Amino acid sequence: MYSIRNRLNYTIVASMIVVLAITAVFLYVRVAGHVEAVFDGSLLNKAHSLISLTELDEEGLEFDFAEEGVMLEFQGGESPEYYQLWEQGVDLLIKSPSLDEADLPRMKTGLGSHQYADLQLPDKRAGRLIEINFMPRIEIEDDPDDEDYGVEVPPGKPVTMVYARERESLDDTLFIIGATIFGVIMIVLVISGLLVWRLVGRGLSPLSNLARQVSAIDESNLDARLIHEGDQSVEIAPIENQLNHLLERLQSAFEREKRFSANAAHELRTPLAELKTLAEVAKMVPDDQEQVLGFFNDVGEISGQMEKVVITLLELARSEAGLLHSDPEDIVLSRYCDEVWLQAVNGGGNGKSLVKHIPEGLVINTDREKLGMILSNLFINAVSYSPDQAEIEITAEIRNDNVVLEVKNASTDLKPEDVLHMKDRFWRKQKVQGDNSHSGLGLTLVEALAKIMKLDINLRLDNQQTFMVTISGFHPSLNQ
Amino acid sequence: MKLLLVEDSERLQRSLSTGLKKHGFAVDQAFDGEQALSYIAVNQYDAIILDLMLPKIDGLTVLSKLRSDGKDCHVLILSANDQTEDRVKGLDLGADDYLVKPFAFDELVSRLRALNRRRSGVKNPVIEIDGIKVDSVARQVLFDEKQISLTPHEYQLLEFLARRRGRVFSHDQLIDQLYDAGSYVTRNAVEAHVSALRKRLNSAGAPKLVQTRRGFGYLIE
Repeated sequence: MYSIRNRLNYTIVASMIVVLAITAVFLYVRVAGHVEAVFDGSLLNKAHSLISLTELDEEGLEFDFAEEGVMLEFQGGESPEYYQLWEQGVDLLIKSPSLDEADLPRMKTGLGSHQYADLQLPDKRAGRLIEINFMPRIEIEDDPDDEDYGVEVPPGKPVTMVYARERESLDDTLFIIGATIFGVIMIVLVISGLLVWRLVGRGLSPLSNLARQVSAIDESNLDARLIHEGDQSVEIAPIENQLNHLLERLQSAFEREKRFSANAAHELRTPLAELKTLAEVAKMVPDDQEQVLGFFNDVGEISGQMEKVVITLLELARSEAGLLHSDPEDIVLSRYCDEVWLQAVNGGGNGKSLVKHIPEGLVINTDREKLGMILSNLFINAVSYSPDQAEIEITAEIRNDNVVLEVKNASTDLKPEDVLHMKDRFWRKQKVQGDNSHSGLGLTLVEALAKIMKLDINLRLDNQQTFMVTISGFHPSLNQ
Repeated sequence: MKLLLVEDSERLQRSLSTGLKKHGFAVDQAFDGEQALSYIAVNQYDAIILDLMLPKIDGLTVLSKLRSDGKDCHVLILSANDQTEDRVKGLDLGADDYLVKPFAFDELVSRLRALNRRRSGVKNPVIEIDGIKVDSVARQVLFDEKQISLTPHEYQLLEFLARRRGRVFSHDQLIDQLYDAGSYVTRNAVEAHVSALRKRLNSAGAPKLVQTRRGFGYLIE
């Protein structure tokens, strides 16, 4: 696992190092090149001034710069400069006194051109030279009164001049420029690195805040929601919203799971407790025939109840595994509803009656057995959870070539939020004392069967008084 | 020991009350939370066996209501909910014990006895007074290591008074504490039971334990 903050910091700082290094090198090369060019320009100017003091007359080459008391820098001293001239690049003409026995190197430069080179000066300092190959200026006397007027000047020969001076001042300047650029770059880098560290941290603080809040959430506080501090960030807000939605779903699923566990535990543990207690207490009253006989009846009832739960669970498991299939046939709906009602209430019904709004002769094509199970469960629920003397209404209508079936009854204490949980396994609004016929699996089974029969099932509560189950998707018989 | 059994399953009510009565408990039965609260309002119980998933008013509401009303009877929750948070919730609301269904009947009885001992402040299940040993587990009375044969009502009366030595109980208090609400017991019946108990102890050579405070009731000093 890596840290986004560290990765961003390292990446940005590394990129800055590369960019600043390239900038520094470019800057140094440009500045150093310019400084060197200026230095070389001064070498060339000095060389030209020496050339201008070199002339050819009838007596041969004359070097005015070599006269005593002129250009003392070539005489020696603390920081001497050097020159040396050759005729045709071979024959030494003159060299500066500062050279003493030493010679300056030659590079064989073409006539009219010049070139530069570094060297070590005779005084052991680093130096730089310029070599120029030129034709000396010819001095012709044009004053007829002068004694040299008309004297023939010998033809000129190319002269090679090398002028050298120390370059330590140049190197010092280049070093200062380099050090300044490097120093500035380093300072910029350090300041930028700190700024980047701080700004990236600030920029990522909503993410850190989100991570902190998310880490604090576990199964014990799934009701917690992520909250933003300060301005909502465009990038974080959708993540936060989605996580909050996810938490809501997770909390809902967790609570459903807890409800299921509690309800399943109750539905399965209570009959087990009854059986166990019956067995243990029966041993205490072996001679009380009436009591023991009553216990046996209870055992029979409990077994029947558990059998019903197990069979329903198995049906649900089979439907989920895709092992149940729809086997449609033509059914006269009104008559079939009567049959299922009689079986469901089993002669009882607590004085409640079935009121049908079904067109006589309406025939639908569907799975008889599964429709029977659906209607039976709906009727039993309606009878159990409606007020005394209530009417259970069943309505069938043809809408868009589909038959829509609706079962409704007055409810006792249902709330709109209860409708959301009604299809949950083992969910029951409230236990009815002494009534062990309900296990909270009826509507779960109805939904599973409807799914197999490709029917839509919808539960709703109108005005908190009438509970309605609407099943749509039945096909009218083609033989009608 | 007088119990209120609050359980919506009629079958469990039937078997439990039969078994508990067989063990000498006086048992009143309530089938929903509403009924339980009305019983608790007018009766004194040593312990209440309380289911949590009840019709009308759930068990936890019953528990918190009776505690807020200042009732200090012991409450043993008998529930199918086995999650730790259910137990914690029940115990935090004032329950004294929690037993998960399915349970062993003998364990339930032992826990009720333990609650009773806690209530009376006597930890030893065998109470010994003047050489008479009342064994509340074996439900037998011994004197000189010989068993004294008592009827369930006589034993109940002896154990009740022995656990509350020095306290005088009137006829009505004894009827209220030793018999369930469905039993029709008169003052004469109590006197008859006291008299029979004295005779049985006397015939075994045991000292006269049960004293009469005229105009007030009975006690063991």
